[in-house]
Amino acid sequence: MEKQLIIALGREFGSGGHIIAQQLADHYQIPLYDHNLLNHIATERNVNHENLKKYDEHPKNPFLTRTVRGYSNSPEENIARMQFEYIRKKADAGESFVLVGRCGESILKENPNMISIFVLGDEEQKIQRTMERNHISREKAKRMMEQHDYKRKTYHNHYSKGKWGDSRNFDLSINSSKLGLDETTSILIDYIDRRHPIATPMDEN
Amino acid sequence: MLAQILAIIIFIIMFALIILDKFERHITTLVCGLATIVLVFGLSMHSMNAFLETLNLRHIFSIGFWYEAGTVTESSSGINWATILFLAGMMIMVEGMARAGFFRWLCMTIANAVHYQVIPIFITFMIMSFVLAMFIDSITVILFLAAVTVELAQLLRFNPIPMILSEIFCANLGGSATMCGDPPNIIIGTSLRYTFTDFITNTGLMAVLSLVVMVLFFYFCYRKEFSTTSGAVTENMEHLSPKSAIKDKKAFLISCIIFLCAVVLLITHAQTGLTVAFIGVLIALITLITAGKEAIDLLKSIDYKTLLFFIGLFLVVGGLEQSGILELVASFIGDVSGGNMKIMIAIIIWVSAIASAFVDNIPFAATMIPIIKTLAATTGADLSVLAWTLAMGTDIGGSATPIGASANVVGTSIAAREGHPISWKQYCKSAIPATFIVILISMVCIYVRYL
Repeated sequence: MEKQLIIALGREFGSGGHIIAQQLADHYQIPLYDHNLLNHIATERNVNHENLKKYDEHPKNPFLTRTVRGYSNSPEENIARMQFEYIRKKADAGESFVLVGRCGESILKENPNMISIFVLGDEEQKIQRTMERNHISREKAKRMMEQHDYKRKTYHNHYSKGKWGDSRNFDLSINSSKLGLDETTSILIDYIDRRHPIATPMDEN
Repeated sequence: MLAQILAIIIFIIMFALIILDKFERHITTLVCGLATIVLVFGLSMHSMNAFLETLNLRHIFSIGFWYEAGTVTESSSGINWATILFLAGMMIMVEGMARAGFFRWLCMTIANAVHYQVIPIFITFMIMSFVLAMFIDSITVILFLAAVTVELAQLLRFNPIPMILSEIFCANLGGSATMCGDPPNIIIGTSLRYTFTDFITNTGLMAVLSLVVMVLFFYFCYRKEFSTTSGAVTENMEHLSPKSAIKDKKAFLISCIIFLCAVVLLITHAQTGLTVAFIGVLIALITLITAGKEAIDLLKSIDYKTLLFFIGLFLVVGGLEQSGILELVASFIGDVSGGNMKIMIAIIIWVSAIASAFVDNIPFAATMIPIIKTLAATTGADLSVLAWTLAMGTDIGGSATPIGASANVVGTSIAAREGHPISWKQYCKSAIPATFIVILISMVCIYVRYL
């Protein structure tokens, strides 16, 4: 790949956004960064990954948090900022990657090679997918979806100016329930290729 | 009556906004301060005098503000300009020291002196944290100490969290020992006209006694964590050498001399008659003059937001004071205790400690000062005993939770930024018992010594 390509993909819980992100990363043969970002950070800093994982993409509790001269006691906030810093470093170094969540569309807004996508889905489809993936009842799946989306929304809105899932903040918002995951990925590839003509896979170069 | 209601509402809103942390603290206090001027002094009290007394500018132009020739004048209310000038002066001095590499040099010298053995580093860093925080703000102490601890932890392969938690606690404890260690003490000292010696011989003794107990407490809490670490370092020795910390030899020497001068001036200020406001301004001027071209950068490095926070805070508390609310609170405490000094002390120390564990101890202390003054005047209680009780309660109570004091926030943040997040549970596990023990020690000391 000659020119840098960054795909920042936000998603609703159960929309299959993560699978789509993986398919895009496979197609363009670029790394996928999601919760594995903390693995990289932990290795780099020689610390235990497990200690960081529990705070990943979690909103901070405003009642248990205080900020002094730009320092916050919230582990969630510090881990988030650590990830943002790592992502910016990768982007500034010219690396191509797919980034899932983590306010990617907002923190890499200034990067001209970034394409931002938000994947949403119909509630029924999202519930079905969550039930199948986690082997849980419909009720539990619905609750799980609501909880995760609430966390993602709170997390996102704390660090970004734009609201979570607001189509005005993304280059493209797409409902994965209408065409299915594979077709959605195809449309996204088509869009990315038009936006980014050199973004063809390595083996096709 | 209207003035009292408005003053309380503004005060509650200010506290709530500080806790919610939605806006920067200085914005919150300044807006609430402005509301106090307009709504309490203006619309309700129609009192220009109350406004001018709270603004307290006349005080700066009196000789007594800069030099007290042994006479104790009537303490002033309203904006405590002495605290603000002293803090600004110390900020400039500390920034100069930091730029010269003083703090890193000190940490590395001590680590080197104990041959990079983990347990000795653990103990000496606790003591160093205590001693430095006696003279320098605990944020700066922890800023450097925590960063060096993480660095040493990586090289010596130990978990830095227990060490950072112990350092934070000892920094808060050290701050309680002197008049200039912790902002509540500076406010108490300047408002009630106590000297550095008054603090060191009262809260200082309690703090030193508590330090001995706390070193043992943290040692027994965490000794297992450090027993498995290797200790001796074999690589990157050059990076750890104290000499490598010094960025500019001349600046380093000058900053050491200025720091020593500041310590001497503070210790002897009761004898020389120089006020802390004078010392703050003098130290700042010397630092700026010796800094040469860097003087502008030093001025820029002043934490203006904290100073503005203080100004707004004093205005809001001034509103409470002028409207007579704090007298009501004082009489309530007097009634509850039935004038019994033991109960009064227990109420002040435990309420201060518990409140400071969750809310900023600076507004709490600033509010409590007029209350203890009234309490002493109406019940005949010894004001100094109430002052030491308030100082220990607010200074130590802040250690109990990650948000109780600024040093806790900065220390936990530095640890997290380096990949060692500290949860509330992890923090409170050792901090709550430690705080409880020190408050108990302080209360017993006060009972035995003063009653």
